[in-house]
Amino acid sequence: MILAPIVFSKAAAVFNVFDANQNPSRLHLLGTDGLGRDLLLRLAVAARLSIGLALIATAISAVIGSLLGGGTALLPPPIRAVGLRFIDTMLAFPALLLAIFVGAIIGAGAAGATLGVGLAGSFYIARVASALALSVAAREYVVAARVLGVKGLAQLTRYILPNIADTLVIVVTVAVSNAIVFLAALSFLGLGVQSPQYDWGAMLTEGVQQFYVTPVAAIAPAVVISVCALAFGLSGEALARSLNPLLWTGSDSARRPGAPVVNASREAPATDKRMDSKSKDVALRVSNLSVRIPTGGASLDIVMDISFSVAKGEMLGIVGESGSGKTTVANAIVQLVPYPAVVAGTVELNGQDLSKLTKRDLDRLLGTSVAVIFQDPMSSLNPTLRVGVQLTESAEVHRHIDRGEAERVAAGHLREVNIAAAEQQMERYPHEFSGGMRQRVMIAMGLMNEPDLLIADEPTTALDVTIQAQIMEVLRQINRDHDTAIVLISHNLSLVSQNCDRLLVMYAGRIVEELAITDLANALHPYTRALLAVVPDVSRPPDQPLDFIPGHAPHLAARPAGCAFHPRCPLAEDRCRIEVPPLLTREAGGRVACWVANKDLSGKSS
Amino acid sequence: MVHGPVASIARPRRASSLGVSYRLWFSFVAWRLVSLFVILLGLVITTFMMVRLIPGDPATIAGGVNTTPAHVAALRKQMGLDDPLLTQFASYAGNLVHADLGISFTTRQPVRQIITERIPSSLVLAGTSLALVLLCAIPAGLLAGALTREGRHRRGELIFTGTASVIGSIPQFLTATFLAFVFAVWLKLLPVAGSDPPLQSLILPALSIALAPAATLARLVRIEALNVLAQDYIRTARSKRLPARIIYLRHVLPNVLTAALTLGGVILANLIGGAVIIENVYARNGLGTALVNAVLVRDYPVIQGTILILGIVIVAVNTIVDGILAMLDPRSLMRRG
Repeated sequence: MILAPIVFSKAAAVFNVFDANQNPSRLHLLGTDGLGRDLLLRLAVAARLSIGLALIATAISAVIGSLLGGGTALLPPPIRAVGLRFIDTMLAFPALLLAIFVGAIIGAGAAGATLGVGLAGSFYIARVASALALSVAAREYVVAARVLGVKGLAQLTRYILPNIADTLVIVVTVAVSNAIVFLAALSFLGLGVQSPQYDWGAMLTEGVQQFYVTPVAAIAPAVVISVCALAFGLSGEALARSLNPLLWTGSDSARRPGAPVVNASREAPATDKRMDSKSKDVALRVSNLSVRIPTGGASLDIVMDISFSVAKGEMLGIVGESGSGKTTVANAIVQLVPYPAVVAGTVELNGQDLSKLTKRDLDRLLGTSVAVIFQDPMSSLNPTLRVGVQLTESAEVHRHIDRGEAERVAAGHLREVNIAAAEQQMERYPHEFSGGMRQRVMIAMGLMNEPDLLIADEPTTALDVTIQAQIMEVLRQINRDHDTAIVLISHNLSLVSQNCDRLLVMYAGRIVEELAITDLANALHPYTRALLAVVPDVSRPPDQPLDFIPGHAPHLAARPAGCAFHPRCPLAEDRCRIEVPPLLTREAGGRVACWVANKDLSGKSS
Repeated sequence: MVHGPVASIARPRRASSLGVSYRLWFSFVAWRLVSLFVILLGLVITTFMMVRLIPGDPATIAGGVNTTPAHVAALRKQMGLDDPLLTQFASYAGNLVHADLGISFTTRQPVRQIITERIPSSLVLAGTSLALVLLCAIPAGLLAGALTREGRHRRGELIFTGTASVIGSIPQFLTATFLAFVFAVWLKLLPVAGSDPPLQSLILPALSIALAPAATLARLVRIEALNVLAQDYIRTARSKRLPARIIYLRHVLPNVLTAALTLGGVILANLIGGAVIIENVYARNGLGTALVNAVLVRDYPVIQGTILILGIVIVAVNTIVDGILAMLDPRSLMRRG
């Protein structure tokens, strides 16, 4: 490419009027132009000028841009803000327009075009350089240098620029691509390289004039410009991706869909005998629920073989450490388990099996008879919608009432959760509310369709302690006033024991114990007992250290064989390390999955 | 019902917070107006300085090739080039206030007349292109985002991203060349140049301008839609079992738009720069052709005028974009302060 002009420029200049405007032939692979000159040779010769000028323009951009950007970053804050604003403003103007403007001052020609493109490109580089320099300038060693008296240009060239050079190289590579395109565009408009010199842009202009006779004369330079610009652009992006993979789509390549569906039929759901009453009194019945994520080879089991039910008006607590699968159980009930997880088992709401419903009936049932209150009220409300819209929409959709009626219902529920001036609050956006207020709004939103079941997934974890108590009071009051069943999911055993009627303890994706809160003192599973032991107690002498459960909750992918709790269990026997203990019903009510406890049980019962 | 401390926490916030939101709007508008004024002043100074920066004597250029020293001297006086710089600027700015942009060196027409004659054609072209970009990119990006959410359809994602990257990086004047070749030269379906017939002659130029920015924007909208779809508030909306139409149009779209609009200014600059060059490719009588011709014959009043007008349009549209952004996402008021 560099040598082409020396080798071919004579041949490329050979013209022959008899050969003018020929289409491609064996003699001229791409045909000839208006003067009978060979197009392929001319493209090769023009490459040096096109790419050379683009490199010069990019060099101008790089020098001006990095000095302007880096220098701006070093200015004292008020002046820096003005400088950054200036760079931003210049970026809003089309680079081509800036280049034309500079070209207009200097005069149409290669020099003006190159300088114009160089200047126009410098603002983008300046923008990136200033952002990078600002982050580098805050680092300790640059601060130290500043304290030692290294100032101005020395600080810029010795400390800032070397540290941002690698990222700037990427930006500059992309800038070459832009420069090639802009220079070709200017030449194409007649504002760049002037005859008798020619670059690809100028060739394109000539080609377009012969469009109907020899389209190749226009298409060939267009293709060359595109390919060349694309090559520089892509190599810049490839460099960027190799340095910073986050710039790429950010999705996880390990995820792979399409795995076998879990076999659902296992042992029949064992439930508390109190729960075995007629199904119409049952708000929720979950049978053999399993959730797993199919991966390349083995799949990850998040939740295994969960069965339980909740009576109407009951408050059930689900307790477990993080990673125990309690949130996944909640998501599986309302069919919100994120892709690509696979759910198996049956969920019945008000006696209706969700898997047997049509999409429409399912939407209606899940939309009206169950509501979820999520952990973080700060992120669970849509920031761009007024609270009123978010409150009323589910009632409008599922109960077909109009906006005004839905707003009256919403105002009533807002008052119920102790939000004053309800009508005015609905005009506001979520960011105008405090965390506790937002969680009240979430609860009011859940009440819109008078659900039979409210699932509260760590509803108070993100809130401070005084607000926690108020939110729990609101939930208890709803439970009392509407006979709404509530499933309270928490890692906090004392919160659950203060508010619920019954307790499920989960460990490593399984239920290990179920018991009434009144029976808490008689818990059998060593894990439950350990949880009870670590609950901080006011009566404890202040000098006595707080208890904790030794060891860690197992990771999903590395669950121990047998009972998952055995590595942390003081009572573990050989059998616990091999076989998973079944969840058996106790005579006194409740269920427990523990070989040791079951042995005691059978011992007692016989 | 529980009253007492709970109710009192809820009550006192309301009245003051509405006041806060008005104050935020006020400071937002005030800040935008100040920066608008500064940018416009910068534009006026820049276009004024342009003629003074030209190597050589503007009067000699204005006089043309067959000028005499006496004529040049008369022109210098007429153009006020012998006055102090500040006086010159004052008269330039004063004329601008009366929408007097000077007289073309070559055609002797008032620049204002040239611009008012040509601006409708350019606005129609840029507007059509903008509509094309928005109407193609946002639905396409949203759809691609919905189909590839949470890592679904990975092959489709690669095809979409790859195609959009390649199309997005093809320069507009080359798109114009390819499109002209296919539709005008080869298929002979549409006119290759000129502004006649008005509708058919608009299709190829508008497509040429819109294609690359639309591809870039679609890619951006998809990534932004993926981000939004992974947010907690979308899970909340899904938990209400709302129809897909409401989830995507009411809950996803405004949040995607706010992110897409922050790049709206860059895309718009791209469209206007594209319009300048595409007008020349398709030989349309617009501001772009006027500007390029003026640069070629060094007709400085016309260059000054068109650059000024294009600059004002860009600044105005960017301000409008910021306003829409503030309305879509009330939080952006706080960020700008």
